[in-house]
Amino acid sequence: MAKYASQVARLGAVAAAAALAVAASATGAGAQQLKHYNSAGKDFWMHPPPDWFLGDETAGQRGLAPPAGPATPTPLAELNENLKHITLPPGFTIKVYASGLPEARQMAWGNKGTLFVGSFGATNVYAVTDGGKTVKTIIKGLNMPTGVAFRDNALYVVAIDKILKYENPEANLDHMPAPKVVYDDMPPYVAHGWKYLVFDAYGKVYVPFGPPFNIGNPPSSVAQIRRVDLNTGSAEIEALGVRNSVGGDIDPRSNQYWFTENARDWISDDAPSDKLNHITRLGEHFGYPYCHQGDLPDPVFAQGHSCAEFTPPVLNLGAHVAPLGMKFYTGNQFPPEYKDNIFIAEHGSWNRHHYQGGRIERVIVDPDGKEAHQEVFASGWIKGDHDYYGRPDDILIAPDGSILVADDWAGAIYQISYSK
Amino acid sequence: MRLSYVLACSLALTAGAAAAGAADTVARPEKAEVCLACHGADGVSQTQGTPSLVGQPDRFIQWELVFFRSGRRHDPIMEPIASTLSDEDVRALGAYIASLPIPKVPVPPDSAPDETAGGAALVEQGHCAACHGEKFEGLQAAPRLAGQREEYLVKALKDFRSSGRPSMGLAAMNEVAAHMSDENIDAVAHFLARRR
Repeated sequence: MAKYASQVARLGAVAAAAALAVAASATGAGAQQLKHYNSAGKDFWMHPPPDWFLGDETAGQRGLAPPAGPATPTPLAELNENLKHITLPPGFTIKVYASGLPEARQMAWGNKGTLFVGSFGATNVYAVTDGGKTVKTIIKGLNMPTGVAFRDNALYVVAIDKILKYENPEANLDHMPAPKVVYDDMPPYVAHGWKYLVFDAYGKVYVPFGPPFNIGNPPSSVAQIRRVDLNTGSAEIEALGVRNSVGGDIDPRSNQYWFTENARDWISDDAPSDKLNHITRLGEHFGYPYCHQGDLPDPVFAQGHSCAEFTPPVLNLGAHVAPLGMKFYTGNQFPPEYKDNIFIAEHGSWNRHHYQGGRIERVIVDPDGKEAHQEVFASGWIKGDHDYYGRPDDILIAPDGSILVADDWAGAIYQISYSK
Repeated sequence: MRLSYVLACSLALTAGAAAAGAADTVARPEKAEVCLACHGADGVSQTQGTPSLVGQPDRFIQWELVFFRSGRRHDPIMEPIASTLSDEDVRALGAYIASLPIPKVPVPPDSAPDETAGGAALVEQGHCAACHGEKFEGLQAAPRLAGQREEYLVKALKDFRSSGRPSMGLAAMNEVAAHMSDENIDAVAHFLARRR
């Protein structure tokens, strides 16, 4: 037994010199004991702590593991049945726009009306044409190509540690050109390494860098959002103290970047809240790992800091709702009061005793972040306590002013329209 | 090697087809016969290196078939078989295999109780039960580990360790296995093969 005991110790002690510390337990008797990881070596960046999403749970949270979606996309007839569960405000309708896109994630329009769609684990990028009728897998074999963006007749895809550029893709959907790597100063780990891309009006792209664990003092190159010039490879650190951000948009009123952020796990079912944030000056610190939801010092990682030191969220969205893709409404179809409101796709919980999220929220807010409030726009994707009909993960405004919703659980894109 | 493997499977196919059980609760898809030829007529594999399928969750079976079909998981026998499957086939096979009754198989005498105890500690430390279930019975897309063939569990962990096999659960298995020594892998497999 002694022989295995020493191996047990070796498995757990990823650490000799401690470059960063991670909480052994967020609550309970061991609260002040930090376990240590060594981020100095390549191994940490290839294979983060194996307990990065499990490991901090309490006894009462044991067994709350990530849900696994269906292995194959939900068939159209079943999707149509599922959409009967969705409720919307009066005048709005939802339908299936496209189906058969395994693990569909971020969406972007091409110049000629092609809808490009990234994916989570499926390794694919899709092209949807003919108003949703035709779906092609145009790129295969990428490492979690969740994020896509289109600019100046080029498709950009982010796959964990590389941003790839595909020139003139809409003329080459059946045989995509070889990509050029335009940015790769990114860590290779998967944990919180999947990303969405958002271009601003100046052609710079916002890129999130999540830490490879639930809670810990992050190495200085992560837990941040960079604004990257893909022509030169130079980057500015726009935001610090950001945990896992998968989604953002530029406010058409101010040209400033707003983003969603997924808060730490394993405090409780109802805390901390996930956030909507707004960057107003370069290098702002949003609190992670010291402070959550603007007013909750971390039980272990506050380390003497007060919440007053950090930029508070524009809005707390709720605990474990998992806000991902978001868009300011710039279309002309919805009623005028929707102009410049934010639609947020909430992916929904994975480790809450009763799931919440799994819906689309509408946020009404002034350009300076004041007077923010949210209301549920589309809901009904949660089935019982622990299952889904679908999980919204991105929003895109269509040219006719309707909105598209990507769903990686069902492998589908929905369209929400309004008519009087 | 490969030839004799295929030959063994085709012999088993004949036997498996003859033994098609009346106890099945879900309609048996025709394509399931190919599966059971190698994985055992009742889903309990008698073949070295080939996993038992009995007790595996529907969603786990489906995901592995999709991984083989898309070339994300490699195996010279499984990839060509999976390449012929439609989405409907994948769903039907998942439902059918998950419906197979789990036979009571006695735990063989433990020749290495120290190894079993070491494996138990590693399994606790690795949070294996969080995804695989408190009795390692398999949940959602996480496979049943209890009673799986020991040498296959070793192979699976080594495949995850080398990232030669994709992992569900946000790469959880790749990350867990990345830090395991051969000895640790042997101990974990030894422990899990003896669960029921």
